[in-house]
Amino acid sequence: MKTGFCVFLAAFVALGASWFGFVYGPLKQLGVATETKVLQSDDKWPVQRTGDATLGLQVYRANGCAACHTEQIRQTGAANELSLMNLGVHQATDLKDFIASLLGTVPELMNFSNAVAGNLAGWKGELPKLIYSGADDTVVLLLGDKLKAVGVKTEARVVATGADIARMGWGVRQSVAVDYLYDSPVQLGNLRAGPDLANIGVRSPDLNWQLQHLYAPKSITPNSTMPAFRYLFTVKKIGAIPSPDALKLPLTQQPNEFTPPPGYEIVPTAEAKQLAAYLVSLKNNAPLYEAPFTPITAAK
Amino acid sequence: MSDEKKSCCSNETGEPTATRSAAPMWIVVVTLALLFTGGLFLDSHGGWFDKNVYAPYQSSAQLEAFQPKSGAAAAMARGKSVYEGVCGICHNSDGTGKPGQAPALAGSEWVTAKGINRLAHIPLAGVTGAIQVGGKDWNLNMAAMGAALSDEDMAAVLTYIRTSWGNKAEAVNADDVKKVRTEIGKSPQPYSSTQLKAMPE
Repeated sequence: MKTGFCVFLAAFVALGASWFGFVYGPLKQLGVATETKVLQSDDKWPVQRTGDATLGLQVYRANGCAACHTEQIRQTGAANELSLMNLGVHQATDLKDFIASLLGTVPELMNFSNAVAGNLAGWKGELPKLIYSGADDTVVLLLGDKLKAVGVKTEARVVATGADIARMGWGVRQSVAVDYLYDSPVQLGNLRAGPDLANIGVRSPDLNWQLQHLYAPKSITPNSTMPAFRYLFTVKKIGAIPSPDALKLPLTQQPNEFTPPPGYEIVPTAEAKQLAAYLVSLKNNAPLYEAPFTPITAAK
Repeated sequence: MSDEKKSCCSNETGEPTATRSAAPMWIVVVTLALLFTGGLFLDSHGGWFDKNVYAPYQSSAQLEAFQPKSGAAAAMARGKSVYEGVCGICHNSDGTGKPGQAPALAGSEWVTAKGINRLAHIPLAGVTGAIQVGGKDWNLNMAAMGAALSDEDMAAVLTYIRTSWGNKAEAVNADDVKKVRTEIGKSPQPYSSTQLKAMPE
């Protein structure tokens, strides 16, 4: 093989370049990630989990939850939005003319006159009224300022868009690397037989709800295909003092298939409590630099 | 083909050997075309390998446009938009100036002066005649470009030029602009360099 060395060198460079690109580069960039700042706040993100919730990640892993649930919100776009909140002393028709004249005279706004005019077409004065939604932040700031100067209250918002975000409660922005800082191993999942859980702690923050759902998913969602994790619970005779941890099933008032026999109670094991603690710790509600949005609560 | 076959068969007993031959031109062309398209794709989708840029965002500049703005950040964004609409046409969008049109604002001692008194007079009333900016001599006229801007817009754009492109001076508030505006009065006359230098910073 006269060209043996060349072949070796070519293979070495090709594999070496992939190693640098796929292993070394990302490790240098994301492997050293630390807590980041929540936008317009002094809070840090992500929040370190409690001991129970940290152990709960291992219960989640052991029970193969990631086989049917993902923990990743996807996003396909973002928009700067400007809405009219309060017209002050103005009438809707006058304001429409005023906005049209602004769009025709202010040079920075001229490019957006069609978009805004389209949103205002057929508007009768109902509030709040979205007047711009798009990529540009100049129009939002400038038009907002000009309207503020004449006593009209507007609200500027940044929103993330996408099919996942459109599903109420799934999350308000996409998942980014730093969200998984305290997950070991990361439970991304790749099949959505069940709903995404990246934001389950915001959607269902009640521990009792989580426990009941783990014990009998069908007691909450009749058509649920999720298996019941009964072995994370013990059904035992009520002793002299009822267990304080026993499931407070709202369905005990009307006995049905999920109700324990009379004189018995359903007590979650330590594992069930850890898993529930982990689930309520899953949140996707902090605006970050790399995944910006305007939280509802911050709007005034 | 036939030649190859002949040479192969006539030399049947010898060891096959690899020889050098030029790579066909189409492989070179296809490889270069692939590299070029790959480069274009990376350019528009790679986010310049910034760790903060995730799809659907394509660059940190685009990500910046979606940061919720309040306070100082909002003033800067507003100043930038005013600058690009009014000042940037002559002073260039990156503050480097344009030969024969306007001097650079980046690194200009007029822009980064301690106070804003002299600086605010320039856009509010205009400048005329010889002036030295950053060691270079200029002799042009600047109209009162800022006379039509509101105090808030003026303050925002002055803050923008004082803190961009490596300039590090204090922010400007609208009250200071208002003070200068009342001082100039209703019919502004362009100042000369010597008149400006006679004012307090």
